[in-house]
Amino acid sequence: MLQELKQVKVGIIPCNGEDLCEGTLTRFACRKVLDTLRPHETVTICLPLFIAGDAGERNFAKTFPTITVDGCAKRCSQVTTEKLSGKPRYAVVVSELLKESGIEIPPSKRTLTEKDQTAIDRVAEDIAVKVDEILGKG
Amino acid sequence: MKKKVVVIPCSGIGKAFGEMGRQAVYEVIDDLRPGDVTTTCLARLMVDDPETKALIMRNFVFTVDGCAKDCARKNVEFAGKKIDGALRVIEILKENRALKPQGILELGEDGLKLVHILAQKLNNEIDGLMRKEP
Amino acid sequence: MSGDFLEVTFDKFVFRAKIGYFYHSEECWAAQEGDLVRIGVSDFLQRIVGDLVFLKLPETGDQIRGGGYAGTMETIKTTIDLVCPVGGRIAEVNSGLIDNPQPINSDPYGEGWLFKVVPSEWEVDKKNLWDAQAYFPKMEAKIKNEMTKK
Repeated sequence: MLQELKQVKVGIIPCNGEDLCEGTLTRFACRKVLDTLRPHETVTICLPLFIAGDAGERNFAKTFPTITVDGCAKRCSQVTTEKLSGKPRYAVVVSELLKESGIEIPPSKRTLTEKDQTAIDRVAEDIAVKVDEILGKG
Repeated sequence: MKKKVVVIPCSGIGKAFGEMGRQAVYEVIDDLRPGDVTTTCLARLMVDDPETKALIMRNFVFTVDGCAKDCARKNVEFAGKKIDGALRVIEILKENRALKPQGILELGEDGLKLVHILAQKLNNEIDGLMRKEP
Repeated sequence: MSGDFLEVTFDKFVFRAKIGYFYHSEECWAAQEGDLVRIGVSDFLQRIVGDLVFLKLPETGDQIRGGGYAGTMETIKTTIDLVCPVGGRIAEVNSGLIDNPQPINSDPYGEGWLFKVVPSEWEVDKKNLWDAQAYFPKMEAKIKNEMTKK
């Protein structure tokens, strides 16, 4: 017997890109949304687990709305999500968002400091607004 | 041209293991062996990025997975490359019981100690791999 | 979905209770196998505590009381005491789990079994346990409570 405790939540899928600081930013911004800004409205989808075929991650992304968060214009999270589950509702590209906002890209992919908090906050805020729009709270 | 080692962490976002693996890889690349180790974005393999594909095909590939789900290893193998070595972060925790990471991204003092231990272990494994290179 | 399990999905997680097993309030299960009773922990428990790193189990020959201490599980999040849902003597321990506790997470009702007991009063102890149908709504309530805590 399969039951579902249904509450619509939005799946956030960061690219986690290891090779550039925007990838690190996607992680911090997404966790901020999940842990602080929209804790009851969001779920994070682990992209490597999603690619590896985890049923939980894939089924969630097929059933519920998603927002992909990519570091750069290669849009790996967006392309992968479309390939494996379906089109995300929104696709954020951090490099483009920061450029539009006039915020400098953090210098290090290894650590983000307090000075980089502005960049984290901007990306997290953008995601949170999109979550609200999807859930009809915007 | 001498082969490099491409070290790819899983970077899992749901558990501290992902960040620990990621930080250990950066420590090896930046601090321990900047000349012969590099990394690349795991997700680029899924978009068939030609540069990333070429990088892994012509070099050694070592994966650092957080747990037994082995996502990085599986993702690399899906891309058609057999890995040359692998570590799991959870094994380092078993060897260092007194140390526990604080949070998922903010690892805390103990978490960073574990990262350092993992980086040393990774460095030793890469030594072994590089000895195979003529 | 399998006919062997009762299942519920919350967010991206599927929680299961195996039909035919009996459940204790401390999230361990008991399953009769001939003269022995096999013991393990529930899918809900393994999901909540996270990846197992250390495990301490009783030893073969130990006498254990129903509801009594039966070892320890440790993850990066927490350390919890294991409870044995039935009283008796430890007949067999799944000792491979000591070095590799991962099956407790990946297969809590199968390969992740912890130990087997020669029960002293199985029919009496069983009355204090829930079957899967009775356990399931209690599990759902715990899931809701746990997953909405942030």
